Amino acid sequence: MNRFDRLLRPLLLSLSLLAATAPAMRAEDAPKTVRIGVLAYRGAEEAEVSWEATFAQLQKVMPEYRIEMVPGSAPFLTAAVAAQRLDFLVTNPGHYLELAVDYSATAIATEMDMDGTSSSESVAAAVIVRSGLSDVQQLNDLRGQRVAAVASEAFGFRAAWAEFLDRGIDPFKDTKLLFVGFPVEGVVEAVRSGRADAGIIRSCLLEKLIAEDDAKPEEFRVIARKPSGTLRCQVSTRLYPGWPFVKVAQTPPALAARMKQALLAMQPNTGEIVWAEPEDYQRVQDLYRMLKVGPYGRFTRLGLMDFAWENRWWGAIVVMALAWWSIHVARVSHLLKKRTRELQHAHEQARLKGEQMEHTMRLSLMGEMASSLAHEINQPLAAILTYARGCERRIAAGTDPDGVRQGVERIAAQAERAGAIVQRMREFVRKNPSRQMPVDPGEIVRDALALFEPTARGVVVTSDVPDDLPMVRADRLQIEEVLINLLQNAAEAVAGRPDGRIVVTAGDGAHAVDIAVTDNGPGLSPEAKDRLFEAFYTTKREGLGLGLSLSRTIVEAHGGRLDVDTDTPGRTTFRFRLPLLEEETRA
Amino acid sequence: MPEMPPIIYIVDDDPAVRDSVAFLVASLGYAYATCISAADFLERLDDERPACVVLDVRLPGMSGLELQAELIRRGSPVGIIFVSGHGDIPKAVRAIRLGALDFLEKPFDDQLLLDRIGEALKVSAAALADRRRKSDLERRLGCLTDREREVLALVVAGKTSKAIANDLDISVKTVENHRHNLMTKAGATSVAQLIAWASEPGGA
Repeated sequence: MNRFDRLLRPLLLSLSLLAATAPAMRAEDAPKTVRIGVLAYRGAEEAEVSWEATFAQLQKVMPEYRIEMVPGSAPFLTAAVAAQRLDFLVTNPGHYLELAVDYSATAIATEMDMDGTSSSESVAAAVIVRSGLSDVQQLNDLRGQRVAAVASEAFGFRAAWAEFLDRGIDPFKDTKLLFVGFPVEGVVEAVRSGRADAGIIRSCLLEKLIAEDDAKPEEFRVIARKPSGTLRCQVSTRLYPGWPFVKVAQTPPALAARMKQALLAMQPNTGEIVWAEPEDYQRVQDLYRMLKVGPYGRFTRLGLMDFAWENRWWGAIVVMALAWWSIHVARVSHLLKKRTRELQHAHEQARLKGEQMEHTMRLSLMGEMASSLAHEINQPLAAILTYARGCERRIAAGTDPDGVRQGVERIAAQAERAGAIVQRMREFVRKNPSRQMPVDPGEIVRDALALFEPTARGVVVTSDVPDDLPMVRADRLQIEEVLINLLQNAAEAVAGRPDGRIVVTAGDGAHAVDIAVTDNGPGLSPEAKDRLFEAFYTTKREGLGLGLSLSRTIVEAHGGRLDVDTDTPGRTTFRFRLPLLEEETRA
Repeated sequence: MPEMPPIIYIVDDDPAVRDSVAFLVASLGYAYATCISAADFLERLDDERPACVVLDVRLPGMSGLELQAELIRRGSPVGIIFVSGHGDIPKAVRAIRLGALDFLEKPFDDQLLLDRIGEALKVSAAALADRRRKSDLERRLGCLTDREREVLALVVAGKTSKAIANDLDISVKTVENHRHNLMTKAGATSVAQLIAWASEPGGA
């Protein structure tokens, strides 16, 4: 029996029922019809038979209504609820749970077992095998075996499914499932005929079949038995509450109350079902949650797969878009990495080149300063020699011992002076990476002047450098170098002028220390002014054209600027700014 | 007039060099003065005293060579010895052509420097004496009348009194009077001496 038949058969059946009753309704005019759906797990006829007494009793106590039974499969009943064709229904706990979530169905009573002793433990499932299969005792023995059941949605199967999972068995993978569909006798038939090795059936069905002589007591055996409590049937699963009598959202409250009253008053006189207050169906809920089925399955396995299939074309587009995006992202990140590497490499090259150029500049500055330096060191040497000769003469004459002592002291002082000059030049020319640290800019200016002044012969150098300048972060030697470079340029600009003057100033500007070197030389041609900071541009016959370009590089590496100001006629000012240390910490 | 002791000026912007040269010359008992620049020196220069200057070529402001030019313009008798940190040959040649006694490179030989200082002081003393004599003569010749100057010029030219009288269209007696007066005024004892003085530069 295929799925279509399973759905269609009860539907057609109930339609014929509706068709038969409709004219009667119109004819009688008065009694309101109450339609009660019944899950017909053994087929519509069987359902009508088993519920006949109950419905007859209901009709008897509720004469103002016309009670109508609508038997059908679970999907049929769900459809009928959705179409608002049913006022009540009697179904298994699993189906009830789905209706409760989707259609606000509420249990008003729970079926009690045949003895009328328990309603909370009245439904379970039994796993049966032919009695001949003596080696099959536990669920574990069913691995790889063929197992028949009504349907994957059937409550009995789900109850058994949980037991399989408890033993580490996934029935969908570890056994060969055979879903035979309604009615449940199909399962018994499959086991009997050998199409299946085992079958999952509702509890008490086997006992009922034996009582009805549809099965022999020695024919089947229930395996993996569990305690059945007050239920007088053999079970293979935990016990769940009995079937609920359910009202749906649109059922009038008065009708529901009336129905509940009738149910609870029912006695098992002629096969009527006995009812109790509605049970807590939490255990069923837990089962469904664990199996991820029913309302819990909607967004998981089946739900997702259905959704995926329904939207497969959109899905394909999304997948392609995602694939394209992934490729794009991968490509971009690859390019990014590659370019970052290139950039780092270029940076490193530039840094090395910068250091090299700086070193070249030092050497070139050294060259330019060499003759001045020879003179500079020659001065103390000349003084030392002359003092020494003066001492000799005094010693020879034996006249002025005090003078000799003074002479020797001055010799020592001049030797120290020469040593200091040599030391300074050695530090200056050494190739060092930038070492920026907090320094007093005034000290740098004074040091640079001390180094430069003796070589600035013929030029008057004046300076205005306050003692209390704020600290800056700088590489002392580099900034000294920049200053000496500016001073030398200034000295060359004013060379040969009797009134040649260089003024060095340092001052606390806005957030920075301003250091300026001004000369009264002939100034700059427009071309020179434009290209001043270009590397290898020079107006000097023997210059390399690196001084100002590297000076600017150095100042910028300190976060400052180096500019030229020719606005005042007769004055050329090179000015650079070093950001204050406190600015740095503030930022 | 009593001769003043010679003095040595030391002009150098390097205090150690200045001081060490002073230390050296002091060992010989010379009087000295140290100056930090050309202007400082010109302010302190005593022209009436035998003097020499140990002069650095490169100085702030007026350079050593510019100072030499200024001293020549003034006709100063001070002897000049250049010293320099650089062997600057063109400058040295120019300085010596203009009368500098030497151009010494630092560090210099002390004996050579002292020898040059000695020479410079001698030259300076001679120049000073010469200058004094000339200015003395000038002063004396400055007292002559126009007619006496005319007669002096003709005497120096080697003319006799008769020829002079003839030239100037005056009597021989008047010429003799003028000759006597100008001899007396110039302080010359003979015509030969008068001629020697008058033919020197600056004379007549």
